[in-house]
Amino acid sequence: MKKHHNNPDSCTACTVCIANCPVTAATRKFRGPKMVGPTLERMRLSQDDIEPSLEYCSNCKNCDMSCPSGVPISTLNMLARAKYFKNRKRSLRDWILSHGEKMAKLSAATPGMANFGMKMSRGILKKIGISDKAPLPAYASKSFSKLFKNLKQTSYPDKVVFYPGCFINYNDPQVGMDFVAVMQANKLEVIVEEGFVCCGSPLVVNGFLDEAEENAKQNVQILKKWTDKGYPIITCCTSCGLMLKQEYQELFHIEGVAEYAKHLYDADEFLLDLHDQGRLNTNFGTLNEKYMYHAPCHLRAQGMGLPGVELLALIPGLDVQDADAGCCGISGNYGFKDDKYDISMEIGSGLFKTIKESGRDTVVSECGTCRLQIGHGANVKTLHPLTLVRKSYEAYHK
Amino acid sequence: MREYDIVVIGGGLAGLMAAAAATKRGKKVTLLSLGSGTLTIGGGIVDVMGYLEGGIPAATPNAGLLQVGAEHPYKKIGRPAIEESIRFFKEICEQEGYSYIGNLDKTQWIPTAAGTLKPTCLVPRTMDTTELKKADKVTVLGFDALKDFYPSLIAKNFKKIPAFAQKEYEVVMIDPKLSEGRDVTALDVARWLDTEEGLASCIEKMRNVIDSGSVVIIPPILGTRPNYAVKEKLEKALGCHFVETASVPPSITGLRLRTMLVRYLKNNGVRIVEQAIVAKSIVEDGKCVAVITEGVDRERTYYAKSFILANGGFYGGGLLAEPGKVIEPIFNLPVEAPTDHELWANYSLFSSEAQPFAKLGLDVDEKMRPLDANGKVLLNNVFVAGRNLRGYDFSFEKSGNGVAIASGYQAAMSV
Repeated sequence: MKKHHNNPDSCTACTVCIANCPVTAATRKFRGPKMVGPTLERMRLSQDDIEPSLEYCSNCKNCDMSCPSGVPISTLNMLARAKYFKNRKRSLRDWILSHGEKMAKLSAATPGMANFGMKMSRGILKKIGISDKAPLPAYASKSFSKLFKNLKQTSYPDKVVFYPGCFINYNDPQVGMDFVAVMQANKLEVIVEEGFVCCGSPLVVNGFLDEAEENAKQNVQILKKWTDKGYPIITCCTSCGLMLKQEYQELFHIEGVAEYAKHLYDADEFLLDLHDQGRLNTNFGTLNEKYMYHAPCHLRAQGMGLPGVELLALIPGLDVQDADAGCCGISGNYGFKDDKYDISMEIGSGLFKTIKESGRDTVVSECGTCRLQIGHGANVKTLHPLTLVRKSYEAYHK
Repeated sequence: MREYDIVVIGGGLAGLMAAAAATKRGKKVTLLSLGSGTLTIGGGIVDVMGYLEGGIPAATPNAGLLQVGAEHPYKKIGRPAIEESIRFFKEICEQEGYSYIGNLDKTQWIPTAAGTLKPTCLVPRTMDTTELKKADKVTVLGFDALKDFYPSLIAKNFKKIPAFAQKEYEVVMIDPKLSEGRDVTALDVARWLDTEEGLASCIEKMRNVIDSGSVVIIPPILGTRPNYAVKEKLEKALGCHFVETASVPPSITGLRLRTMLVRYLKNNGVRIVEQAIVAKSIVEDGKCVAVITEGVDRERTYYAKSFILANGGFYGGGLLAEPGKVIEPIFNLPVEAPTDHELWANYSLFSSEAQPFAKLGLDVDEKMRPLDANGKVLLNNVFVAGRNLRGYDFSFEKSGNGVAIASGYQAAMSV
């Protein structure tokens, strides 16, 4: 099967994507992936065709995953969205949601004030189209890059490069710190490059494709530089991972992506690979705890199964049950939008129900925004798998 | 290195059944799938053998099995294994709360959305025609704005079928109020009935147009989940019998079946890897050691003791057609085909003969291991199942899901 060919004619109109699209299931306003993606793409190739329901695609990738003919349906939608916005004015709402990194940098001086301000201004945000019910993430008091700079690592000859991504950097830095601790426990030194910028995922979904491409160019150059030196690159965020390795190839024509993608790993998969090579530190302390697990769509789309589940299975005593209840609905910043909030909660309702019925009070998932949505929708605590791996290593030494 | 007992390549019905049978035998199974198979396109019912050569209906599936040629997968598998596989399939359905009715000794002629009858073997209980056959009066119920289901066409065409010509037909419509937004498909109506409010509202609307005791032909809309809750609630509330027709994609009955089988596999510890593009294999001394996926990022190697190749035919990508030759891309197994590819097709429309291209595929022994042109086993631990097998045209003879179940089962039992 040829990869990254965006030819809509490979679509046989079999309708499997419609049956698997969570947005289609949640709202009748969306005409569905087949129609909005490949069917209309044939029209768009010859003329400016506007499909209003295109805005409903959340880029969750379930259509791509179900397609028997390898059509990157969601990417066709994102390209069409970019084309649509080429000569149109963007809303302030979409600009804010797409530029989380810029917003975070502005707030970085005084995150406490920014959080306070954000709480006070939910009414204002609502006015510009951001739902006042949505689980907007708070800024951490110290960003990951600050915490990391103050951390004294043990130096080892084997090194890995960490791509933290905006969410870990500004909102959930503890995941990054847990990652570093787990690498250190495996006699690996972590390098964090200051030059990395937002992967572009939030930009792409709102049609800011040119800006996303600028970001991509910068990231590609740095990623390539490190992999050329023989260092693996690791992400803990599945949407960043998918963007850097796959969507860059589908959306842009930048040299070098295919080369570094060979050495770009999801953290869980990287540890499992170490295990396969007999190099994983398996001094796991027993954790007699029970968790639910949620597989992010952007992990499932990467064709490597569920490495988090396999990794956590190595920890003695740990009982992790895969919720297996589909998309959580958030899709990056989709569920933050006032007009998409209800759809997003409807999409996640099956997952929330499964979690609540399990009686387990904490859900493990790799994706930061999935964790926000699950915490909000199912009223539970959430964790990244690596937090448990670190905890298990620490339990061993107690 | 992680090694599994069995790696199944392909997540269609053949692959799902192979994984189910293997896990039942206590094997550790990884299933590599790409896309969600063709079950959601058309596969909620199990055809075993509908038509013989010349387009003659088989008296029963069992009788049809006796009349297939030497090349046919059924011939390789043999009747005892076919019977066991059907029993095993029905056992899973029963266990999962979505039982299928039918057996090999009887052809079930089921109504289609075009108002014709098609032969099949196993159907979900939503397609049970027992009451339909007995009824003197039949109601055909349609939904406003629903495409691909026209009740008056069904009633008109049924009048032309001898067994149904004497019945009286009444056509009624209800409005599910789904016209806002996109075109309405059976999937939309089924999802409406998945919800409590939708079901209650539907019962209310149906009560106005259907009399208690009616036999009602409907599109496949009795919920999207693999159970009979919607059917039972509707029938209890209205005192009617509902019969779903076979219809166009997306197939609701196929969606239910796939959901059920995937759930069964996961509950039984099968590891499923989605988006796995299996591109090549590592073979040493006539044995496959591993298969390799080509991700967008890098290759990944899956080691196992045995492999089941169930990745489909030309449509699924298990076989590739090139001018004058057919390629099996993962193991490069031989596929015998006329070098003049003009001979691959039967050009006469509505012909009573099968399509030659549909019969192209892999030759196997009775254990489903691939053979070379001289009948020698090529790979000892590779077993083939489903649409990539040689010697049958599922579309012509109505045997697709039957071959998938029987060959998937046989492959898993031969490991």
